[in-house]
Amino acid sequence: MNRIAQGLTLVLLGAAALTSTVPTDLYLNWVKAGFGPFLIAAGVVMVVLGVLVVVAEVRGEGDTSKEEEVAPATVAMDASGRNTGEVHGHDEGHDGHGDDGHDHSRAPWVAWLLLLPVLAVFVVAPPALGSYTVESTGGSAGPPPRDEGRDSKFNDALSEAAPGEAARLDIQEFVMRAWIDDEREMADREIELTGFAVPNEEGEGWYLARLQMACCAADAVVNKVLITDEPAPETDSWWTVRGTWVEPEGDLYDVSEHEFATEEMEEVTDPPDPYE
Amino acid sequence: MSERTTHESAPSSSLGDSLARGWDDRGDELPPADWGRRPGARRTGTVWLFALIITAMAFGHAWFSDELTGQAFLAWATIFTAISFQAMPFLVFGVALSAALVAFVPTSAYRRFIPDKASYAVPVAGASGALLPGCECASVPIAGSLIKRGVAPAAALTFLLAAPSINPIVMIATAVAFAGQPEMVLARFTASLLASVVIGWIWVRFGRTDWLRLPSQSTTPGASSWQVFRESMLHDIMHAGGYLVVGALAAATLNVMVPREWLLTVAEAPILSVLVLAALAILLSICSEADAFVAVSLTDFSPTAKLAFMVIGPIVDLKLIAMQAGVFGWRFVVRFAPLCLVVGLLSTFLIGALIL
Repeated sequence: MNRIAQGLTLVLLGAAALTSTVPTDLYLNWVKAGFGPFLIAAGVVMVVLGVLVVVAEVRGEGDTSKEEEVAPATVAMDASGRNTGEVHGHDEGHDGHGDDGHDHSRAPWVAWLLLLPVLAVFVVAPPALGSYTVESTGGSAGPPPRDEGRDSKFNDALSEAAPGEAARLDIQEFVMRAWIDDEREMADREIELTGFAVPNEEGEGWYLARLQMACCAADAVVNKVLITDEPAPETDSWWTVRGTWVEPEGDLYDVSEHEFATEEMEEVTDPPDPYE
Repeated sequence: MSERTTHESAPSSSLGDSLARGWDDRGDELPPADWGRRPGARRTGTVWLFALIITAMAFGHAWFSDELTGQAFLAWATIFTAISFQAMPFLVFGVALSAALVAFVPTSAYRRFIPDKASYAVPVAGASGALLPGCECASVPIAGSLIKRGVAPAAALTFLLAAPSINPIVMIATAVAFAGQPEMVLARFTASLLASVVIGWIWVRFGRTDWLRLPSQSTTPGASSWQVFRESMLHDIMHAGGYLVVGALAAATLNVMVPREWLLTVAEAPILSVLVLAALAILLSICSEADAFVAVSLTDFSPTAKLAFMVIGPIVDLKLIAMQAGVFGWRFVVRFAPLCLVVGLLSTFLIGALIL
């Protein structure tokens, strides 16, 4: 891969990072929202670096470049080869370098693979993970380790909502409470959840699911609730459901699926951030 | 000489820009005609190639984007893009920092901070790993530039292992994920630091410099610091970045293809479960700042197995192996990765038995 190709690859890669963050919200399909500013910064750096490399190369400057003025030229060859000057001396410098340092100015074939993310962004534009991931992951991750010393307070909308008022919870928060809240504070409270529909292959009803992400889609964890009292909507369509927790009998910890009794449900356009 | 190639059919005099002048002058000056022709033609070819790629992507975007509906393929593409994009800021940050180390920090500065004797330098490097917030994508190029600047390879490698394992962000992430279990944070810190330092000492004793392939430091005499910075950054992005994509491809494929239920069937076996989570850490290549959240979700496994997941992940994984191969060469990786795995596992079992 020669230097022009390297420079252009960097420009395209930076453009991909910028396209998915600035004019669109595509990046939210892949990484946490907090990555946005860092992706923009990385994109700008790559575009600038790529342009500098291409400019330096088409001007026929090998490793000596237009930033010469930053430091005083210490070698006569540099001074004579300044941009428009005698290109002769410059070329010798470049080729002499190319011979002993080929490893350095040419990148290995594997660098072409940097075009794959570019291709992915511009051609495929991968959507957020959805029902396929939920179905192929099978059961939920299981309850978190039981911790007797845990502070019984939950920091979610339910603990703040006034009694009788509907609380809007993340599905993750709902599942967490359904598993470990021995006080059963959720019982008989009106709760609102938002997620996408996933058919239940093994039994009746369907799941309202949402993926929880710590950093990027590679670490996504499935959270889902079972709904049996409404007909299954179209797979991957997004819904906000209002209803109550179906309180299980016995030890909460042994529950494998959390059921939800719906009172009303309403289709929503995709929320801007598909993950919790 | 100016009509050397079909691409440059226009007489050069009509192209007043520096672009054409650069090519022509080059051709005129170099004695054998072939020498002058090839770089020029190749450059033109490169520009045409990229024009073609961009056009193809535009058509692909217009025609195929809606046709790509295979669920498994899309999930794979999402995870591949996610890993690439998540690593990108860290890669650029690490590469910029390592280029700055090469270009702006004089070699004497390292002498002052890092002991000369390699066996003393190793623990110092391990402890200083706790200072650099970043994930493993950042530390590979930084370790490369440390070695180039004359730091003992063993110390630089210890830093390479310790920085992504025990830096403050990773420790905070672990504390958040394992809320109410401070012993897990302590165990992770101790086991990772122990493994990094022991690996460094083993490298001091048995490591050989010729296993490491570092590109010759091609600082052109007289090149300004900014040129060195630019060249170093370009070089590192091309090498480490290319292999990062290889690692992301492999990790995305395994992430989609290996069903998690397989893992749950072995969760009960004491030793096997530790090995399985270590293997999972290698295959999934999750960023070290996120792996605690994944570890805590693997609830069927023992604490020691989760510890293995968090100790092995930052020091050996597919993405890291590929990136190390890009920076240090395969001769290095085939020795270093197994060493890290074995020492990391031993350290996990020891600390797991003591603390968890």
